[in-house]
Amino acid sequence: MHNIWITTLYTIREALARKVFIFFLGLSALAIILTAVVVNVLNDAALVSGVNPEYNSMILEEIAASIQLIIITPLANLCLLLAIFSTASFIPNMLEKGNIDLLLSKPVSRPQLLFGKFLGGFLVVLLNLTFLVAGVWLVIAVRFGAFNFPFLTIILSVSFTFAVLYSIMILLGVVTQGSMAGMMVAYFIFLILSPLLSAGRNQLGEFITSDILKGIIDFFYYIIPKTAELMGNITIDLALGKGINNWQPVLTSFAFMAAAITYAVYIFNKKDF
Amino acid sequence: MKAVETKGLTKIYSSSFGRKKVQALSDFNLDVEAGLIFGLLGPNGAGKTTLIKLLLGITFPTTGSAKILETDASDYKIKSKIGYLPENHKYPPYLKGEEVLKYFGKLSGVKGEYLDRKIDELLSIVKLSQWKKTKVKNYSKGMMQRLGLAQAMINDPDLIFLDEPTDGVDPVGRKEIRDILLELKNKGKTIFLNSHLLSEVELITDRVGILNKGKMLREGTVNELTLKKEEYKIVVENNLSSESVFNSSAFTKISDGSYSVKVTDLKELNKIIDQIRISGNLIKEILPMKSTLEEMFISLINEAEK
Repeated sequence: MHNIWITTLYTIREALARKVFIFFLGLSALAIILTAVVVNVLNDAALVSGVNPEYNSMILEEIAASIQLIIITPLANLCLLLAIFSTASFIPNMLEKGNIDLLLSKPVSRPQLLFGKFLGGFLVVLLNLTFLVAGVWLVIAVRFGAFNFPFLTIILSVSFTFAVLYSIMILLGVVTQGSMAGMMVAYFIFLILSPLLSAGRNQLGEFITSDILKGIIDFFYYIIPKTAELMGNITIDLALGKGINNWQPVLTSFAFMAAAITYAVYIFNKKDF
Repeated sequence: MKAVETKGLTKIYSSSFGRKKVQALSDFNLDVEAGLIFGLLGPNGAGKTTLIKLLLGITFPTTGSAKILETDASDYKIKSKIGYLPENHKYPPYLKGEEVLKYFGKLSGVKGEYLDRKIDELLSIVKLSQWKKTKVKNYSKGMMQRLGLAQAMINDPDLIFLDEPTDGVDPVGRKEIRDILLELKNKGKTIFLNSHLLSEVELITDRVGILNKGKMLREGTVNELTLKKEEYKIVVENNLSSESVFNSSAFTKISDGSYSVKVTDLKELNKIIDQIRISGNLIKEILPMKSTLEEMFISLINEAEK
């Protein structure tokens, strides 16, 4: 555990040395400040005009939750895009000739190195997301006096989505020893494949008449991580305090992540450097 | 105790899809006793770095076995007793000199105040104390090598592998590194040195192995390897004049009163000595002839290439 922790800490150190993470933090700070400015100019009286004063606080709570979601949903997606970009080089950097030789000459097992890198990348993104989401939440909560705590669970759902995509980057990073393939596949799944499969199965399901096509869509739907659902319905439901109604996307994505990490460890364990 | 032991170690690298195969090491056997400085020599591509990588578990053998400090090389825990300075090592460029040592020290299992003391001590030994707060991306090649050496010693290892440790280091720095290595040897550490700087290897190693195309050509002490068999240097008071002596064997004049002589055996050498003494000349010195390590190395490699 000690070795994993050391690798994790130095991965965070590596992240902090990269300008993209400073940009990431700067962007989050800017979003929090802008939120503060925008919500400050909103007029309470105007927002609840025509509503029975008895329900004022309830209406304000709903308004607060809606504003939080409107602000956070695109920002969380942007954060994920930045997180993929900024963590893509962690594994290739570790595998660089001259660096990996040194690491493998230490009393650290290969799986420990890989888990340390995974945990380090995950924690960096978790910290950034916590800063952004908690910051926006706090500004709106203080302004409206509505402390919608379930909203903070967005941190978990977005971080989990990142962890799933990061596992792909780790696997492809180990296989190719470069960052491009992992980054491209992660973006492809996040931006194209998962939304397409989700739409194909849910919204467009009734328009697809071919059983073979339905079977193919189902097959890929179940094995590909469901980032569209994780960042869509699941995140929104969690933010609104409704909990998770359908665990299938979470469980199958988790299984994918576990399989990707296990396979990455298997390949890393056998690889010559 | 054996610090390094390999049996039938073979490594074949395959290119993508296994189309091209390169045999880096072939049925390689080696024993290195603890407490020695062992120098492994060989031309580029001989398999020197591959051997170290196999011993450290960085690369896996195709067949055969390797042990370090009498433990299977695949057991990563034994590396807490190992130090390694790879060729063309890279450190995280955003770390400062002392942070690099702290990082690798922690990974080696060294902790707390002992680690801090060790870092200061090693930086002082490699003369980098005043650069400890400087990021390593600003270090010169020589400074990187010295930091690498400190890194290899951070866990007070029993066995240290050094791959071209003096690469890019100036002559004064080389001498300092040699002194550090000798000091380590005096402390009972085993040093496994890969180098193509033959003169340096000659100066500090106890035993030398010569590797070419994945095979050990020769192994022994520097003395054993550089000794020219049945060739002696004879120094006499006056120049030799006797025709019979010159005709009896392969005599070559080196300088006034100094000759080299090739004989078939000791009997022939003694016969020559007798003849010189009968002629009334006085013998000052008889020494076995030696070549330099470089001469021996080049002739051995050339022979192997034929």
